[in-house]
Amino acid sequence: MYRYDEFDHKIVTDRVSQFRGQVNRRISGELSEDAFKPLRLMNGVYLQLHAYMLRVAIPYGTVSSKQMRMLAHIARKYDRGYGHFTTRQNIQYNWPALDRIPDLLEELASEEMHAIQTSGNCIRNVTADQYAGAIADEIEDPRIISEIIRQWSTFHPEFSYLPRKFKIAVTGHENDRAAIKLHDIGIVIVRNDKGETGYEVHVGGGQGRSPFIAKKITNFVPAEKLLAYLEAVMRVYNMLGRRDNSYKARIKILVHETGETEMRRLVDEEFERIDASQMLSLPEAELDRISAYFAPPNYENLPAQSEAFEAAKGSNAEFNHWVKTNLVPHKTPGYGIVNISLKPIGGIPGDATDVQMDVIADLAERYALDEVRVTHEQNLVLPHVKLDEAKEVYDILCAHDLATPNIGLISDSIACPGLDYCNLANARSIPLAQEISTHFADLDKQYDIGELKIKISGCINACGHHHVGHIGILGVDKKGTEFYQISLGGSADEQASLGDITGQAFTEDKVVDAVDTIVETYLNLRQPEERFLDTYRRVGMSPFKEQLYAD
Amino acid sequence: MLTKTHLISNGAVIDDTWVLLDDETPLGDTPAIISLDRLKAEADALRLRNAKLGVVIRTNTLGKTKLGEDVRELTPYLDMLSTIAIDFPVYRNGRGYSDARILREEMGFEGELRAIGEVLFDQWSFMARCGFNTFEIDASIPVETFKEALNELSEAYQPAVDNQRGVLWRRHGL
Repeated sequence: MYRYDEFDHKIVTDRVSQFRGQVNRRISGELSEDAFKPLRLMNGVYLQLHAYMLRVAIPYGTVSSKQMRMLAHIARKYDRGYGHFTTRQNIQYNWPALDRIPDLLEELASEEMHAIQTSGNCIRNVTADQYAGAIADEIEDPRIISEIIRQWSTFHPEFSYLPRKFKIAVTGHENDRAAIKLHDIGIVIVRNDKGETGYEVHVGGGQGRSPFIAKKITNFVPAEKLLAYLEAVMRVYNMLGRRDNSYKARIKILVHETGETEMRRLVDEEFERIDASQMLSLPEAELDRISAYFAPPNYENLPAQSEAFEAAKGSNAEFNHWVKTNLVPHKTPGYGIVNISLKPIGGIPGDATDVQMDVIADLAERYALDEVRVTHEQNLVLPHVKLDEAKEVYDILCAHDLATPNIGLISDSIACPGLDYCNLANARSIPLAQEISTHFADLDKQYDIGELKIKISGCINACGHHHVGHIGILGVDKKGTEFYQISLGGSADEQASLGDITGQAFTEDKVVDAVDTIVETYLNLRQPEERFLDTYRRVGMSPFKEQLYAD
Repeated sequence: MLTKTHLISNGAVIDDTWVLLDDETPLGDTPAIISLDRLKAEADALRLRNAKLGVVIRTNTLGKTKLGEDVRELTPYLDMLSTIAIDFPVYRNGRGYSDARILREEMGFEGELRAIGEVLFDQWSFMARCGFNTFEIDASIPVETFKEALNELSEAYQPAVDNQRGVLWRRHGL
């Protein structure tokens, strides 16, 4: 894992002092709420329906056990004993008092964490594959370049007041778990004919009111030139991005209106100038320094098969189920990647209590080489667990309601905070996620249905990623009543697609029935080995539509 | 702007000897800042004039374009200009930061670069890093406060116009 040096520490602690000054000026009345807004927004502080909300950055979703304990401590001391893991691999606290946020940030800084650029029209927290460094067939650990991008983009003097927010995601694996094609910039680590590692850059993806799949604008940029290339994209956007209408201000609209070819030309032109100056050529020594932090940990030499693990699977059917859904093969023999579901049946997706966070920190320290990952699907991961010890880990998870065996299944849905917390929402998302997960609580039924990703947003801003849900649900408001629009066939992976709307929206009490109808239709139509998405792509919308709107 | 402003240049309060002229007012023999349109229209005559000249670059010019004026259009006129004022219509509109870097780094402009409009405390250090050396700010703000703001963040990761090499390079003595 990356560790701060003196420079990183200085930058984060300077920021804490600066924010303390700003909060003091707000509390004394020297700053009005209007003048304070842009300052708090740059530091992850939002004014929500009931209180201030603080979003803490978890760069590329990686935390150590000490950092996880700090997140638990903050939930206990400054909040109401829980935190909410987000689709940006961050954590949000819903109830901190404004005058205590500077102290909170100081405590975070002591464990090398911050809330910098978790909000505002700037380059946000960089996200990456949650299995980085643990999954087989990875070209390069995406956290290396993500950390470099994090540093380059932190307090970037030119790009702190962009037309709109800006999100970057990185994957180093052909299976995209970071949804890179739905980001302002998506980076895929690739290897060229000569065997050199470089970066393929996609620009202009995004969800919200107008969803777009990103366009690939270059096949290969070498590491030393990547910052120059990103700076070129950012400058083209900052100069030409629209500022007349916030709904048309994201780079996806610029790419769409300018066209892919012209966008590529503009970026190349800017890139040539920046590259010629060599100002942003990344020193090899710095690339090596940061890479060293992500060198593989000291794995033990273990046989690929674990007798204890096989025996436990044989004797305990529930453990066996959990292994099937929540444990993923590791690149190292004798190890596994453990997914911790934060979607207990009927629970709030992504929430974890202080006690649960402490338990996970202990597990990471004892069993997972001291690392925890946050996934964009709002679950957690212990990336390096010995198969020999998987059953022990499972038992401890079970004791804390953290072993729901539903990763990738219908009850593992993404939901935004919705009308329960957010002042933009039209409709509630969390209660709907809870109802759906309760309706499909039966595990055998869930296994039969197989991989099915439900994503729920409480408004058109799409924080719940409904456009790319296999089943997407969008809350809309019609004359003061909550309605839900359903879409089918979306996907956020390497074959990204946007969902198609089924038709007329459903009232809240009809949504679960509608989801049930969709699932039954799929079960009747599917061919052997077909997932929901495969069936939908084969048969299209009409059979689903017929069943949904039969009467 | 309604509030009274003063000018801080290279870290000190200075007298503003410039006048910002609209396109109809005739140019006198004193330093004057004019619009980009007027500069382009009257360039030949302006070359013969015997007083300092400046131009203002407007972002989000009402009714003309939804983006604003393009600093690269100044290329043929740079040798005539002693000052370039970049207007920030609202603090949120950060197009002017790129304008400044393009002028300094790509076009090699070495004269005064002045930030005008909504130019607030928390933007000054970023503006300075992008190449602005003169700031038109609220007159109630003393120069000491301005200097404090520039020093709130003592390190920067990335290079910019202000000769800071950026932590990513300085770690290796570059």
